[in-house]
Amino acid sequence: MRHIPEDELHAYLDQGLSRSQAVEIESHLAGCSSCRATRDAIAALRDRTTALLATLSPPRRLPPAFDTLREQAADRVSTRRRQMRLGVWAASLVAAVGLGWTASSLIGPGRTESVAARETTAAPQVAAPQVAAPRPAVAVAGADTGGPRPAVDRTPKATPVRLQPTPRPPAARRALQKAREDSIRAAKLAVLDPAPVLELTPLEERGSEQGEPLEGMWRTMSWDGAQDETGRSVPHIDGLPVLRVQVQATAQSKRPLMVVAQQLADGQVIQTIEGPAADVSELLSRRGGTSADGKLGVTVTEATPGIDQAMAMQLGDRMLAITGALPSDSLRAMIRRINAEMRSK
Amino acid sequence: MSDELEKLYQSTYTAVVRFLYRKVWDAERAEDLAQEVFVRALAHRPDKPRAWVFAVAANLARDEARAAVRRKRHLTLLKGDPIAQPTVAPAADDNVEHEEKMASVHEALSTLTPRDREILLLWDAGLSYPEIAAQTGLAVGAVGTTLARARRRLVDAHDRQQNRTRLGDNAAHS
Repeated sequence: MRHIPEDELHAYLDQGLSRSQAVEIESHLAGCSSCRATRDAIAALRDRTTALLATLSPPRRLPPAFDTLREQAADRVSTRRRQMRLGVWAASLVAAVGLGWTASSLIGPGRTESVAARETTAAPQVAAPQVAAPRPAVAVAGADTGGPRPAVDRTPKATPVRLQPTPRPPAARRALQKAREDSIRAAKLAVLDPAPVLELTPLEERGSEQGEPLEGMWRTMSWDGAQDETGRSVPHIDGLPVLRVQVQATAQSKRPLMVVAQQLADGQVIQTIEGPAADVSELLSRRGGTSADGKLGVTVTEATPGIDQAMAMQLGDRMLAITGALPSDSLRAMIRRINAEMRSK
Repeated sequence: MSDELEKLYQSTYTAVVRFLYRKVWDAERAEDLAQEVFVRALAHRPDKPRAWVFAVAANLARDEARAAVRRKRHLTLLKGDPIAQPTVAPAADDNVEHEEKMASVHEALSTLTPRDREILLLWDAGLSYPEIAAQTGLAVGAVGTTLARARRRLVDAHDRQQNRTRLGDNAAHS
């Protein structure tokens, strides 16, 4: 009769065996002194392990009352709803953008015709649920200008995602109205429309008052300074006035973490954030909330309740995020446009 | 349902703190994370709360380790930033002895492979073979084998270390 392997004796002593296996082992042990000795040695080894590990115990303190945790959990459930929405968002973004997109180079800074800007204002019209069909206006526009702009149907379709209806401020409603009109004349506009004239409302003030104080590691830079420093690859949406560029050096990579705030025609602000994925997601996770340790100053501002949104995408170890008080479909359309532009290069 | 969780909380909170402590090596942090685990359990209401609690604890500890690496990276940027030094209280002799003992077990534990260590700690936290198997992806039959090896290694590493210390002491005395 074979002797019992050691690991089975461990399992036996740990009560990790089925009843029938245990009975089998017990009957063998009854008639085998050698296995009994092994069992005793293993039992001693087991006890020693437990005793050794017991020294690795923190000082014992009374646990907090369970009701305290219950309250925290109740708070949590309400915020979870918002997070889930963001999660769906990120997924739809990845679907919308596909591969071949590089965070570092967005739209070249030299372009004069601000396609992305117009796309942004016109975006609500491209709203997700009805976007399944390619937008003919863009294809026509591409033909008209003779430019190397790709037809939109090369872009992977966004998975239509139904988000909770969000209230729009009057400005957004106006933008929507304008977008509808634009879409009717889109083919012509693509040729005739000059770059949209965007007015700078005194947002510098609002920004500094709403933005959290930045920790020493963040630097606010001029546009030109940031362009020089990063080799002309500051993440931004072409054609929109830039309100603020903030840069944080990162330890191991030459490319820093950057936050660029830009203003739409109706005064809303969007921020483009680009940097190492871990840092960007940390920024995003803290937006709206208070920065717990202040290590990464949160710079996301203009969080109009209910419509503040963010999209993020990761490429390698970098991540690009766009946040702002915008309907989700506008951001999605914008990213799709960026993606198409990138691919045409 | 939440009564069941409350019972679980009363019976396993200490084990969860201990489990986390052996991963993050900071008593307060371990308590914070343990409370976080139970808050999440209340929000999620898992089917098998006991196994779930330890699975989440293991994940939180892993995230914690990653975040610590990242924090270190950021901290290097903040020149002159006063980094909190662990306060070393002048310890009584038996306290010192306990600390030494702890350090030596800690070191012995660190010689195990991550998987062996994880399974040993889960077992010590009170999980059954099937629960350990479910959490680690190991076959139930392999849990005993892994535990046999992990226990043997822990004890051997610890004994070796004690022998070294003793030899070192003798050398210093001669």
